[in-house]
Amino acid sequence: MTAETATKELGAARLAGADARRGGAGRDALIEFAGVSLAFAGKTVLDKIDLSIAKGEIVCIVGPSGCGKTTALRLASGLLAPSAGAIAFNGAPLQGPRRDVAIVFQDYGKALLPWRTAAGNVSLALEAAGTPRKARPQRIGALLAKVGLPNHADKYPSQMSGGMQQRLQIARCLAQEPIALMMDEPFGALDAMTRQELQDELLDIAAASGATIFFVTHDLEEAIYLGDRVIGLLPHPGRVGIELKIDLPRPRDQVATREAAQFLRLRRELYDFIKSAER
Amino acid sequence: MKVDARAFALPLALIVMAEIGARAHGPSDSLAPPSAIAAAFLEALSDGSLLIATRDTLASAFAGLLVGGAIGLSLGVALGAVPALNRALEAAIELTRPIPSVALVPIALVALGFGYRLEIAIVAYACVWPLLLLTRAAVAGVEPRLIEVARALRLNPLARVVKIVVPAALPRIFVAFRLAAGVALIVAVTVEIAVNPIGLGAGIMTAGQALRPELMLAYLVWIGLVGFALNALLVLAQQRLFGRAAQVAEAP
Amino acid sequence: MRSLRDRLLGVVVLALLVALWQIVANLKLVSPVYLPGPDRAFTALVHGLAASDLGAKLMGTIEHMIEGWLLASIAGIALGALIGASSQARAFIAPTLEFLRPLPASAIIPVAIAVFGLSPAMALGVIAFGAIWPMLLATIHGFAAVEPRLYEVAAALRLSRPAVIFKIALPSALPDILAGLRLGLTVALILAVVCEMIAGLNGLGNWVLLSARMFRSADLFAGVILLGAVGFVGALALNIAERRLLAWRAP
Repeated sequence: MTAETATKELGAARLAGADARRGGAGRDALIEFAGVSLAFAGKTVLDKIDLSIAKGEIVCIVGPSGCGKTTALRLASGLLAPSAGAIAFNGAPLQGPRRDVAIVFQDYGKALLPWRTAAGNVSLALEAAGTPRKARPQRIGALLAKVGLPNHADKYPSQMSGGMQQRLQIARCLAQEPIALMMDEPFGALDAMTRQELQDELLDIAAASGATIFFVTHDLEEAIYLGDRVIGLLPHPGRVGIELKIDLPRPRDQVATREAAQFLRLRRELYDFIKSAER
Repeated sequence: MKVDARAFALPLALIVMAEIGARAHGPSDSLAPPSAIAAAFLEALSDGSLLIATRDTLASAFAGLLVGGAIGLSLGVALGAVPALNRALEAAIELTRPIPSVALVPIALVALGFGYRLEIAIVAYACVWPLLLLTRAAVAGVEPRLIEVARALRLNPLARVVKIVVPAALPRIFVAFRLAAGVALIVAVTVEIAVNPIGLGAGIMTAGQALRPELMLAYLVWIGLVGFALNALLVLAQQRLFGRAAQVAEAP
Repeated sequence: MRSLRDRLLGVVVLALLVALWQIVANLKLVSPVYLPGPDRAFTALVHGLAASDLGAKLMGTIEHMIEGWLLASIAGIALGALIGASSQARAFIAPTLEFLRPLPASAIIPVAIAVFGLSPAMALGVIAFGAIWPMLLATIHGFAAVEPRLYEVAAALRLSRPAVIFKIALPSALPDILAGLRLGLTVALILAVVCEMIAGLNGLGNWVLLSARMFRSADLFAGVILLGAVGFVGALALNIAERRLLAWRAP
């Protein structure tokens, strides 16, 4: 038995446990890709992707650059429509972006309104949802506190660090009360310490809200650390190359989890996959 | 530059509509159909009056641009390179700059009388500002590392300005020059329309007063063409001379 | 921010320059027919405001300028938003506007006179026509230059189309629009003066031209000083507005 198959079997054995822990989200698929392809200017970016994300699951997508992982996320969030195949959300065909699906962009600097304060940026999502004016301040205060920005309501994005700006974007996304979070390399531009802090805060939010998370990253360790499942894409054209169940116990811990033999084995496997994919 | 065919749809539609509208409306003292405008244009071109007027306007505009530009450029370099001088003159500049150029027309009229000198003086005043302000900013904003290089090389202050500061600021200075050229044409025509009996501005005024709308509108179209051509020429020159550096310079 | 010392220095230099002007005038280095001293200009200014109709002329110019500028601003921003919000409209209309932009606005004066006669309506039309360009082009540019990511944020939040315009595009275009407003005000003042000169409308343009014809250089300078003051106050007001509205920009 190779290390690879051993990991997979181990993963399968523990998967049921993981589901139970995450609020019994179970087998119901929230997002389903069926033979999804996307061609752009005659070039196939994604080729016949089949993918199912269960309710409450955290799925991380990794892959070498050009494998279409961001494109897959944009399809799942409804920002793009597939050229072939179908995407279902909660059992119904996905038609464009939904208010209950929040998108966290990598370039937080561009995705925030620079002319609004932190409170104003969170307010935008509440305004979009038609929250009455009177109810907004209290919700905004709670959301900013939740992401660790309770004392920064009146600051403009230009007065905040990168980490704070990304926290703010997450607060705006949480204001949508999303059942799913689409995250496109959200922590890629942050320094290592901030990144780890935000990873843990994200896991806390996920555990508390039971939100489904679709997480694109180029950081293999981040993918394993966060995910219930990691999917590796192959490039040119983008297609699924590997799928790993991550059965590391939760809550995860930045030191203990990353030191676990299991973690290192998964990391090795993913690393080998990426190396071979790049070749 | 790629030209989109859709760019021509609107002007063509407007011309056709103007032709139909003007013909349906019959003779008028204030407007004329495009065909009559074209005829008047050819007539003014062939009898030489249009070309003489163009020469007068452009000569005044360029002379004013040279005089005002030279003053603005020298002041701009001096103020940009010597912060103390800039601080000393800041208040005076801030109070003088808002005086609209045309407000000085009567003063120049009393002092200089009608003619080229009046127009050149006003154009020069108007052209001082873009060059002064933009050159000052460009010189003050020269990469500090270059200044350090100049000091390390022990260049004297004059050599520093001539060899390092001005060349480094040149792309932005050319942008200022281009803007000033546009201002020069606008101010020259404005002075001619307001008081000065020469050039294109006087031509269009006279045509209007003579109740010849087709000639008046022919002048208007021609003034537009001259302005467009001047601007296009300078943009082209800027791209040729400075390439990408000029585009960077246009960013605030 | 300028330090107090720098400001003081500026004022002292300014006072020296005025003193120099006084000396030149007193020594009659330039004929007093052209150049009154600051003392005479100041006396004429005070007398004109107190005993003559200089104040009324000042109000006339301000009125012409503000009316034309407001009309141009509202029309320019509205049209600019309509054109800028649609890439189709931009492709059809923007090239024509770019072609018209270098046209000296004053060249439209004879046409406006032919249509409206020597009336205040003519002045309003000319000033509005001249001042609309900066606003229009700046607004179109501002709308075209909105960060695409923000449109995606708007799509993700499912903002309505009016909400996208009022909450995303207009605020994003605000720096451009403010620059357009500032340039437009300068153009409006210049055209107001020109129209007053040509059409004999009540205003400082008319005042300075008549003073020149009668060789009353002190009155002439008083008018020019007031015109400078109008330009200065207008620019200052827009500066303050800009600083408040754009406080969010990185320092």
